[in-house]
Amino acid sequence: MRQFLRGLNPSCKFVSLMVVTLTLAFVHDPAVNAIVFLVSLLLTLCSGADLKRVLLLYLPILLVAAGAFMTGYRYSTNGDLPSNLTSVLVSDTRIGNGLIFATRVLVYASIGFLFAFTTDRIQLVRSFEKQLHLPQLFAYGLLAAWGIFPQMMQEYRRTRAAFKARGLRVLPFSPAVLKPLLVKSVRWSEALAVAMESKGFDGHGERSSYEAPTVRTVDKVMLVLLCLVFPVVVVLLTRVF
Amino acid sequence: MNLSLEHLTFSYFEDAKPVVEDFSALFSSEEVTVLTGASGCGKSTLLMLASGLYPGNGGFLRTGSVTIDGEDPGSLPPEKRCRLVSMMFQNPDLQFCMDTVRNELIFTLENLQTPPERFEEEMERALDFCGISHLKHRMLQSLSGGEKQKVMLSCLVLIRPRWLLLDEPFANIDNESARDIVLALKRLHKTEGTGILAVDHRLDNWVEVADTLRVMEQKTLLPEKLSPGHLDVSFLEEHGIIVPGSPYPVPEYLKTPAERGEEEPLLTLKDLTVSYGEHRVLKGLHATFLPGHIYALTGPSGSGKSTLFQALLGTVKYKGSIAPKKGSRMGFVTQNPQDQFLADTVKEEISASLKGVEDADAETERVLRGISLWRYRDLSPYLLSQGQQRRLGVAALMAYHCDILVCDEPTYAQDRNNTLAIMTALCSLAREQNIALIFSTHDPELARSFADEVLVLEEGQL
Repeated sequence: MRQFLRGLNPSCKFVSLMVVTLTLAFVHDPAVNAIVFLVSLLLTLCSGADLKRVLLLYLPILLVAAGAFMTGYRYSTNGDLPSNLTSVLVSDTRIGNGLIFATRVLVYASIGFLFAFTTDRIQLVRSFEKQLHLPQLFAYGLLAAWGIFPQMMQEYRRTRAAFKARGLRVLPFSPAVLKPLLVKSVRWSEALAVAMESKGFDGHGERSSYEAPTVRTVDKVMLVLLCLVFPVVVVLLTRVF
Repeated sequence: MNLSLEHLTFSYFEDAKPVVEDFSALFSSEEVTVLTGASGCGKSTLLMLASGLYPGNGGFLRTGSVTIDGEDPGSLPPEKRCRLVSMMFQNPDLQFCMDTVRNELIFTLENLQTPPERFEEEMERALDFCGISHLKHRMLQSLSGGEKQKVMLSCLVLIRPRWLLLDEPFANIDNESARDIVLALKRLHKTEGTGILAVDHRLDNWVEVADTLRVMEQKTLLPEKLSPGHLDVSFLEEHGIIVPGSPYPVPEYLKTPAERGEEEPLLTLKDLTVSYGEHRVLKGLHATFLPGHIYALTGPSGSGKSTLFQALLGTVKYKGSIAPKKGSRMGFVTQNPQDQFLADTVKEEISASLKGVEDADAETERVLRGISLWRYRDLSPYLLSQGQQRRLGVAALMAYHCDILVCDEPTYAQDRNNTLAIMTALCSLAREQNIALIFSTHDPELARSFADEVLVLEEGQL
């Protein structure tokens, strides 16, 4: 399953999951949300993601979901909700409304996590370049920026330490700390651009392609299932019930 | 095949003073040439011009031209230019845009429009050439500075440029990696006929392989062609160049700490251990640091020097104890002076260290005049030259009264005169104000000349 999920074309996966997300935005049914949430969570865990890390990531999401539930519960529209699966299971519309809010938070987060845990960033950007025709300059610029992000975090710690080393106390992310970081980022980007050019990167010119992601049958099946079948089934189900 | 630079005059801003002025030189691809000179004499700028990256990527070329075999590299598109001339840069962290070694090599080969069926073979050849086949699937982020430079070299082996220009490639890597790279470069020169021109402050790595040494001074090239095998020590020292094996003239008053009998240490390390995940970087260090004493910390890259400093700064988690004497303050001079700038102007940079001091304005002026930066007081510290930034960084920390001063490579990428000036200032401060000075360096002569005690860190142990 791990190989399968990671082997899917990133652009197709991105488009499919976007369609699922958009479909769910128009559906007011906690049961559908809950099913999609559970499937996404299961797939994330099957992808070989570290259980502890997944749970830690869900911790703030659960808090937000609880908050969303209370909002939905408190500001219910009292019976004006569309008729749906939940009305069979949950008679109280206030609770139903809260559940719609809460499950929506959970399902969006789970789709995002599923995508993040099963997609390699290099493959993602390369796939955007090949399949969605993202300009080369933007694609590789994005990758380079991604590469220096850990360095920026290290620089941030270093800059804070520099203030501490002179007996000056600063609040986290205060402008005084961020300013040197900004100056350095500009310099880094210049240095990186020059280094890339020095390796023959043009930004516009012809390049050969090696191991670039392609669209296989399985990706096409996924597109059909998630972009066509899923919205139709969900709409029909919610209408019937 | 010659690299010809004719009457180059170049400045970074339209109305600024030229960094390189009426510079002419001819370098032959049959020789490995090392270009050296004092900090800020325009060596790196010259290399950027020679590689065709300037003025396209910045600055103004007022007069002159660069040609390699009659071709102007600046007029070629990057894909063609890199085959003519390519560059290896000083900072190993800012040369890659992919995540793994393999992906970076693929990126390079794709730029060169290499047919896909030749990718694996080419990658194997380049990695093997640099002796880093075992790093093929490693994340670039997890590599040491030396390993990163070897990866960069393997990218250049893929490109097979006719000329290879190197800008201080060993500024921040250990001697062993530097030696590996230098030998690989020599092989590249012999087997592929690649012309090599390197800019470096430190000559020790080049002595074995370079054919010619040229010296740059005051924006121009001196006519003398030196042989690295027979270095004219007095000539080089006169031009501010660090000569391998030549000790630094340490003033007599700095040589030994004042005798004060039994003294309480200012800082004690007990069983200091730092781990990154499973990997233990520091393995139970024990050390004491006395007031007025100077300690040099040396060791190969990856031996844990930076980690030790980070632990002292409190930016990494550690086990064991770091116990400064009660009430004592610790100050840090970072390797890159830009890491410690925190103000908008040069003047504020010094006055930030003098908070609470009486007559801080007069003291700021005194300090800035002392390091010849008073006239730049209203400029941003980032606009100063590298040498000036280093002086400002050291002065700012010296103005801040502390009891323990930790300096991470305070003479990094500095010429001999700046190195001497910085070390003399730091050591005088330590002796006069009874400060425990701890500095790290890759230069064994610097450690031997200035320190009372040389601490060698190897595989996480002292």
